[in-house]
Amino acid sequence: MIFRNLPVPTSVRERVTPRHLVAFGLGWLALFFVLPILVLVWQSLGIGTGEPLSAYQQALSGLYLWTIVRSFYYGIATTIVTLALAYAFSYFVVFWTSMKNLFLILVVLPLWIAYIIRYLGIQLFFSPTGPFVDLFGTDFGFLFSTRGVILGMTIAYLPFAILPIYNSMNAIDRDHIHASRVLGAGSLRTVYSVVFPLSLSGIVAAGLIVFILSSGSFLAPAVLGSSENFMIANMIERSYTELFNIELAAALSVIYTIILLALIAVFNSYVNLGEVFENI
Amino acid sequence: MLEITNLTKYYGDHLAVEDLSFSIEEGDFATLLGPSGCGKSTTLRTIAGLIEPTEGTITLRGEDVTNLPPDQRNIGMVFQSSALFPHMTVKENLAYGLKMHGLDDEVDTRVSEYLDLVEMSGYEDHKTTELSGGQQRRVSIARALAYEPDILLLDEPLTGLDRVLREQIRNEIKQIQREINVTTLFVTHDQQEALSLSNQIIVLNNGQKEQEGTPESLYEHPKNRFVAEFVGKSSRFTGQPDDTKPSVIQNGSLTFAVDPESIPDTSPNTDGADVTLYVRPEDVVIDTSSTFQNEFDATVSHIADVGSHSEIELELEDGTPVLVEAERFPDLSVGEQTTVGFDPEDVIVL
Amino acid sequence: MKLYKVAEQFAAWLVAVIVLSLLLVPIVMIVLTSLTPESFPTIPDGDVTLYWYSEMLSNTELMQALVTSFLVATCAAILSGIVGTVAAIGFVRSEISYREELATLMLLPLMISPVITGLAIIQFSSQADLPSGYPTLIIGHSILTLPYVFLIVRSRLVTFDDDLREASRVLGANGLETSLNITLPVISPTVISAMVISFVVSFGEFTATQFLIAPDATTVPVIIYTMLRAGLSPEISALSTLLIAIMVLGALISGAVTRST
Repeated sequence: MIFRNLPVPTSVRERVTPRHLVAFGLGWLALFFVLPILVLVWQSLGIGTGEPLSAYQQALSGLYLWTIVRSFYYGIATTIVTLALAYAFSYFVVFWTSMKNLFLILVVLPLWIAYIIRYLGIQLFFSPTGPFVDLFGTDFGFLFSTRGVILGMTIAYLPFAILPIYNSMNAIDRDHIHASRVLGAGSLRTVYSVVFPLSLSGIVAAGLIVFILSSGSFLAPAVLGSSENFMIANMIERSYTELFNIELAAALSVIYTIILLALIAVFNSYVNLGEVFENI
Repeated sequence: MLEITNLTKYYGDHLAVEDLSFSIEEGDFATLLGPSGCGKSTTLRTIAGLIEPTEGTITLRGEDVTNLPPDQRNIGMVFQSSALFPHMTVKENLAYGLKMHGLDDEVDTRVSEYLDLVEMSGYEDHKTTELSGGQQRRVSIARALAYEPDILLLDEPLTGLDRVLREQIRNEIKQIQREINVTTLFVTHDQQEALSLSNQIIVLNNGQKEQEGTPESLYEHPKNRFVAEFVGKSSRFTGQPDDTKPSVIQNGSLTFAVDPESIPDTSPNTDGADVTLYVRPEDVVIDTSSTFQNEFDATVSHIADVGSHSEIELELEDGTPVLVEAERFPDLSVGEQTTVGFDPEDVIVL
Repeated sequence: MKLYKVAEQFAAWLVAVIVLSLLLVPIVMIVLTSLTPESFPTIPDGDVTLYWYSEMLSNTELMQALVTSFLVATCAAILSGIVGTVAAIGFVRSEISYREELATLMLLPLMISPVITGLAIIQFSSQADLPSGYPTLIIGHSILTLPYVFLIVRSRLVTFDDDLREASRVLGANGLETSLNITLPVISPTVISAMVISFVVSFGEFTATQFLIAPDATTVPVIIYTMLRAGLSPEISALSTLLIAIMVLGALISGAVTRST
């Protein structure tokens, strides 16, 4: 079947340009995303209440300030652990196996499965009736602790780190490595002086993604941590649903997002975020 | 039939085509020839309506089409990549153009007629992605011709094919064009394709027309050094005209006899300026038994047999290379001392 | 040297096994514990039962949530499929200033924490008098999945052969006819695959969704979370296994559609 002689007036057809399509997409995003965010920013200011900006005062002191610090601390810890594992794994898949596709499928598969289910699986693994306690008699403090939250986020975001690192490493010309080996460099030295520099863009991309995702995680502390492990996302949720303090929830959101966007802006000069996400 | 007047195209600050004018008569096979980046593809796309010219007009069959969109120009075009629609069969590809031209009733007859023309009968229901490179070009040509456009535009349609296939499809294009006598404009960077296919060639360089004419006139009477060097092979010498003897060009120890009439007026041959001489390989004779007015000692430096003939490269005493087309498998060997000779009438002076 | 090689190989394999276990063991745990005959989620030793699945199927609240999740995910996938594809076509074809910066804007829902997105949308929706429940859920999920469609379709369009469009125009089709007859059919497998991904993302989304639900419109992940708060149970594992099956099916469909081109 072929569409033709459509009853669309020429005037309309000639006037719809790619710019209009862009405008439609951005307009949708602006109406249902950017505008709501701006409303949230407005609410955070608390104009009209007795004390404007008091929410910010509250958010930047005591418990809340500690939560913000903790979020970025957890984010950095998760990023480091995840990158180390992802790098070693990618190196193995690229240079040691002949079944690259199988390994990649196994890495991508968990991405299809909801976070809440994967976190639940981790909790089941370490639960008192689970196989880990069965085997060792203790969970080594993995459940409802800092360790558990960071392990959970590492597991959740590992695929996001493996894929860009794998891609950049796989793109390295094998001749460079052979050349380095022929020139007498050992394999560790080859990794350090050839593979690492050439896969750096993938590492930065992976680190950025993992950091963005983990520092904003809600489910990892909620399922695998205790209230002492709450991160900023949990505080925002609690301020809204339990304290009914929308100004505080909004202020926390604004502070967190500004810090994060500033970090992204710094790294964005090094890697294009669009390309980063496209790798996945 | 097709008239291009003062066509100019800027991409931002970059001038792609500058003040180009030419025309093509009904039934002609014309070629836009030039190196990559010379503006030939831009010109073709402007004619198709895919690019808007900055200035100038395009007239097709007496009608000014400069501001018409491509779908209202009745043009057939074959792209470098074939551009067959991957989600349609061969027949559907041809039917697409026919239906868009309101020829629904004739789809079946035209499809079989034009597939027959390109010798692709029986491939109606094949997916286009299953076809070989050569077959894709053929279907692409049939698709461009099936609705009988006013003019056929070919944008380097032989790119990416191996040499044997290139020649085969080149001959088929020529044959089809003769058969249905469709006015054709062909774009290529390959002078051999241009010479063998067209009866009119427009040589472009840096967005400007260098020369226009029949293949014969371009080959034998190039107007400038660019055309002389781009169209056909030749040996190249430089030298100073001699004020006292108008038929002689001097270059150190070498003296060339030329036809005095051929020295261009524009070249100031009285003040001792450099001129360039070109001699086509088929006009040079090796191991001269008869005497030529131009005769030089030479050493064979390279022999390449290309089957039908052989191309021999020699060096004059001062190292200037000379290219000769000779019978195949000549009785020569590299390093051998011999002589080369050519007639003054065969020297192109520019 | 030889020993060094062996050690290196051992280390490489060890890392691979650890990473793959980390990724896959949690999923396997869910499936196994859903089959336990015990009343708490443990790995069954020999005896397996589908009892918890029948429990789940007779739980009307769960079944209602499944229907809701299905409806929301379908509508969100269609919406983001349309908006994301239109935007991607626009961005690839137009030469506007700040094109890359504006394209990055389209990815913001991926970067901003879903807690904030959910909070912003529910606030906006209540202030704009949007009906709560389905409309808010669907619009919210369409925003969360929009970046996926946009990214995937855009990268397909970049490799789309511009000659195909131009050929269609020269063959006599106008711009709209070309889009409908050529562009859309050629990119449709990619669009469908992107919409399947959107469906799966929407189906499993919890963090933003917890703000957007209404009493008559609750999704499965929210039910799982609520049940989890009350304590672990094999019924949660059974429900989660069902979700895993749906999501893996989505992965297979997406893979098959993409491979067909």
